[in-house]
This record gives sequence, C-alpha cells and structure tokens, in this order.
Amino acid sequence: MLKIKNLHARVEIEDAEDKPILKGVSLEVPLGEVHAVMGPNGSGKSTLSYVMTGREGYEVTDGSVEFNGEDLTTMEPEERAARGFFLSFQYPVEIPGVPTLTFLKEAANAQRKARGEEPISAPEFMKAARENAAKLGISNDMLKRPVNVGFSGGEKKRMEIFQALMLQPKFLILDETDSGLDIDALKVVAEGVNALRAPDRGMLVITHYQRLLDYLTPDKVHILSDGRIVKSGGPELAHELEREGYDKFTGEAA
Amino acid sequence: MTLPVKLSPIEHGFLRDLSASGSGWRAELREDLEARGLPHRRVEEWKWSDLKTALSRVESGQVPLTVSASREPDERRAPGDDDVMAGVMPRLAAALGGDASLYRLERQDDVLSLDIEANAGTGHTLIVVDVAPGISARLDERYAVTDASLANIAILVRLGSGARLERTIEQAGSDDGVLVVTSRIELGTEAGFKQTTLGFGARLARLETHVIHPGEGAKVSLAGSYLLSGKRHLDQTTLVHHTGPNGETRELFKGAAGDRARGVFQGKIAVDRAAQKTDAEMQHRGMLLSDGAEIDAKPELEIYADDVVCAHGNALGAIDDDALFYMRQRGMSETEARALLTESFLAEPLDAITDEVRRDDLLAKLRTALEALT
Ligand SMILES: Nc1ncnc2c1ncn2[C@@H]1O[C@H](COP(=O)(O)OP(=O)(O)OP(=O)(O)O)[C@@H](O)[C@H]1O
Ligand SMILES: [Mg+2]
Repeated sequence: MLKIKNLHARVEIEDAEDKPILKGVSLEVPLGEVHAVMGPNGSGKSTLSYVMTGREGYEVTDGSVEFNGEDLTTMEPEERAARGFFLSFQYPVEIPGVPTLTFLKEAANAQRKARGEEPISAPEFMKAARENAAKLGISNDMLKRPVNVGFSGGEKKRMEIFQALMLQPKFLILDETDSGLDIDALKVVAEGVNALRAPDRGMLVITHYQRLLDYLTPDKVHILSDGRIVKSGGPELAHELEREGYDKFTGEAA
Repeated sequence: MTLPVKLSPIEHGFLRDLSASGSGWRAELREDLEARGLPHRRVEEWKWSDLKTALSRVESGQVPLTVSASREPDERRAPGDDDVMAGVMPRLAAALGGDASLYRLERQDDVLSLDIEANAGTGHTLIVVDVAPGISARLDERYAVTDASLANIAILVRLGSGARLERTIEQAGSDDGVLVVTSRIELGTEAGFKQTTLGFGARLARLETHVIHPGEGAKVSLAGSYLLSGKRHLDQTTLVHHTGPNGETRELFKGAAGDRARGVFQGKIAVDRAAQKTDAEMQHRGMLLSDGAEIDAKPELEIYADDVVCAHGNALGAIDDDALFYMRQRGMSETEARALLTESFLAEPLDAITDEVRRDDLLAKLRTALEALT
C-alpha cells in the first residue's frame, strides 16, 4: 500500500525563494489498484511524481510518503527504485552513448544488488527483452540505440513502458505516458500497462485524457488542484471532468 | 630590450650537454635556449602549460629513456637536417637523444609498437617512421613517465602516397612525471592518417601533433580522450596545415577533469590559399567533474582559401543532472550513474579505433581509471 500523508513540498529555485507546490497531498493506493490523478497544468502532478521518487531540488516541508509500511520520504532515488518505485517520465531523458539494453541491465542489477539478490543472467535478460519488445512493437534496432536518443515523443513513451516491463516494479507512476501517443500506440502502451497490473502492484496514472483511462479503468480518480487533492471519486469522475472541465472542482475542497 | 632569463639548473644542464661546436639547427637551439630558456606560460603556445615550472622538481642530468619496441629499428643514424622539426623541445630531443631510430613500415598491415618509459632525470629520443606508399600500417605508442623525470620525445612520421597509418597513443597517468611528445606527420597525396589518444595526465604532459596536409584526397583524423584526476595536467595541441586542395580533416577531442586537474586543448587548422575545397571540422568537448578542475580550450581556424567548408566547436559542461536523476530513478547509484555517463562521454573518440583489440584495450583502461576515480 502506498500512503501519502499531508505532503507539503517546495521547489528550490536558484537565486529566489523556494516555491511551495504541494500543499498537503493525502492519498492512499492499495496494492492491486490503479488510481488516476488529473488536474490542470501547473497543479503539481509532475512535482508529486518527483517528490515521490526523491528527485533533488525539492524539499519536503511536511508529511510523508510510505510504501508497504516503510517511510521513503528521505530515501535516495536509487533506494526507492530498489523498493520497486518506477516513474514513467513526462519527458524521458536522452542519454547519449549508453545503449538501452546496457542501461537497463545495469539498472536491473543495481536494484537486485541493493535487494541482496543475484544478478540477472544474460540469456534470461535477453529473453525478457525480446518478449517485452515484441509486446510493445519495439524493434531490435531501437533497443540497440542509446537511451531515448533520437526517438520521437511517442517512441520515448513506449520505451518507458518497455523499461517498466523489464524492471518489474512494485509501484508505477505514469506521468502523462499517454500524451504524444497516436491512437494505435496508445492501445499498445495501455495493453503493456494492463499486463503490469497485479495484486502486489499499485499504480498512479497522471493524465489529462479519458482515453487512457478507458483502457485502464482506474479504481479511483483524484483531482489535484493548486497542490491539493480537491476531489476523489470513482472512474465516473474522469467522465465528469471531460464533460465539464476543472472549473467546478478547483474552487471546491475535497 | 628583453632581459636575459634566469636559467634553471635543468636549462643549464641542457646547455652543458649541447656541444658548443654545433652549427645549423644545433647552434640555433643553443642560442634559443640561452636567450629564452624552456617554454613557460608567457610563451603564447605554452600559456596554459608551464613546462619550465613543471620541471622544477626534476633532477638535471641525462638518463636514457627505456624504449621497448616490437622490433629493432631498421636504421640508427645521427639526426639529419630533414629529421628535425621546429621548436625547442623536438630539437632538444634530436640533439640530446643520440642516434635517431628509423623504422620503415613496408609490409601491408605492419604493426609497430613503442613503449617508452622514464623514471629519473631527463631523457630524449627522436624516432622516425616511414610508411611506404600504398601500405596500411599501425603505430601503437605507450608512454609511462613515473617519479620526477622528463621524457622528451620527437616523432617524425612520413606517409608515402596512398599510405594509411592508424596511430594510437596511450599516456599512462602520473603525478610527478613530465612528458613531452612532439610529432610531425607528413602525408603524401591520397594518404590517410588517423590518430587516437587516451591520456590520463601527469605533472605535465603535452602531446603536440603537427600534420602537414597536402590535400589531394588525403584524409586526416585526430581524436583523443582524456580523464584527469588529482593535480594532473594534460595538454593536447594540434596543428593541421592544409597546403593543397581537396583535403579532409576531422578532429574530435573529449575530456573530463576532476579534483584539481587541468586539461588543455589547443587545436589549429590552417588552410593555405592553395588549399581550396578543404573540408575540415574540429570539435572539443570538456566535462568538469569538480569545482577545482579546469579545462582550457582554444580551437582556431586560419583560412586563406575562399572555397572551403571548415567548422569548429568547443563546449564545456558538467554531468547532466536530468540524466543523473533518470538513471538513479532506474536504480543505479549516483556513483554508478556518474561513471557510466562519464564513460559514455569519453568513449566516443576511442570508438573510432579500427582495431578491435586495441580499442577494447583502451576502453578497458578508461573504465578502470573511472572506477578508481570514484
Ligand atoms: N524548477 C522549478 N522552478 C520554478 N517553478 C517550478 C519548478 N518546477 C515546478 N515549478 C512550478 O510548479 C508548478 C507545478 O509544476 P508541475 O510540473 O508539477 O505541474 P503539472 O501539474 O505536472 O503540469 P502539467 O500538466 O503541465 O504537466 C508549476 O507552476 C511550475 O511552474
Ligand atoms: Mg506535469
């Protein structure tokens, strides 16, 4: 179970005062469930994903992030990754000179090492790579290229889900993984995400659109506005938003 | 009027060793050394690499270099006027290095390897490598200068028309040694010369390469990587002089400096009026791994022809924080992520080495050095 309690966080800005972004976010995602977070641009959705994964440059001033009973709030990003946190980035980063599979194998083994597990064998890793690439329609050539370098926006999102399939995380945060995808790619990616649904795995899906949620059918939908969850509900809440926009909710408290 | 310089014990030693009776370039060298001493930071070409100061802890007195070559030279002879290049250091190498060693690469796929070491005093040598027309050959060099010592080497490489030479230079890291390698490459028409260096710096190391590029279909590639730690210093200075039309030059140098190390890149491409249709590109990219490190770069184009494509670039950066977080989010430790990013940055110039064994050998040395760094 993921428990975010009264999370307050500020972004550190060079030569200026820290800016408060998260102003008391509380959220629980039980294992096996998929929750969606929707909210206007600039409401703090990406910030929430970064604070959850321990990115530098954000200061937690109050509250906590707990996962399966363990407080992660002050852990390093790699410690959280080893506990199964995976962020599908809104803007995946290009890493020139590092081939995708080399990168993933190093990452997988670093996680395993941190958990006291044996490294993955090369044949086992290659087999998983072939299978997962096939699921997502990723070519061999793409896997050989340096991480995200020269990929289109949609291809990058597809690669993020490929990485998730390879690393088999315990909790996924998808930050607008659907944006930039064409209709067919969205379906392929959604199937990849659905394949990751499991009783011992939770997901937080940040999105602006109903379409991805149609494929995923979230257990709950939360609306984030100005750094707070202002409304939570069932999947029908997403439909309501699509019809009526945010205005109705942004003034309202949860 | 300029005041006479105060000569250091090492400079006095060199003057003693240079016979007073010499004429021609030997006499010029004597006069030069007497009047100006060794290169130091007020000499434009050496402004970032103060050789004179770096030598302050080296004992005067000649100690021959240890040269292990993959085979005996084809000839040893007193350096002739044609063997001598401009500059105090290569001239000292010719004047004080005894007989020059001459190697003739005449068989296809000939490989010459030279392993040069110094660990005390000052040592000099002049090496001449002739590559026969139409032949592809390799020259692998390795320099290791340990303790307070100076190794001063001049290398003259002459490629016949249509000859190809792939040269690699490995400069082993050293805290106290001083190394100066000055090379002059003369290419025939249609010749190809490709040089790749991997350097780890020394108290001061300078790898200086002059290429006389005749154009006429000849191709030159100069590439290098450097990784510097502690207070090490490495200077890579290149001059490619295009004298005839239709020549191509590519340069790619990348380096990273940590601690209080200092990297220097000076690259000049000169294009004569006669060298129309020259196609030249030079890139240097440096990465600072700590606040105390320094990288100085001066890429220069001097072009007198009007129909050429020449470009140069220089960029200095640090590790990309976004990439670092991305990698850590996937599970790598900060140290692992930094090492992988630095390695991938520095590997690019080495990737161009044609011989797989040599390439893997240098990449492995780079990796080992990176692991030691963290
Ligand atoms: N490094 C930063 N410097 C200054 N302001 C920042 C920084 N990072 C985030 N912010 C601000 O914090 C607010 C929340 O940003 P965030 O990226 O979390 O929004 P979001 O909800 O993900 O928006 P979108 O839907 O556009 O992706 C925005 O107003 C943004 O400008
Ligand atoms: Mg966002």
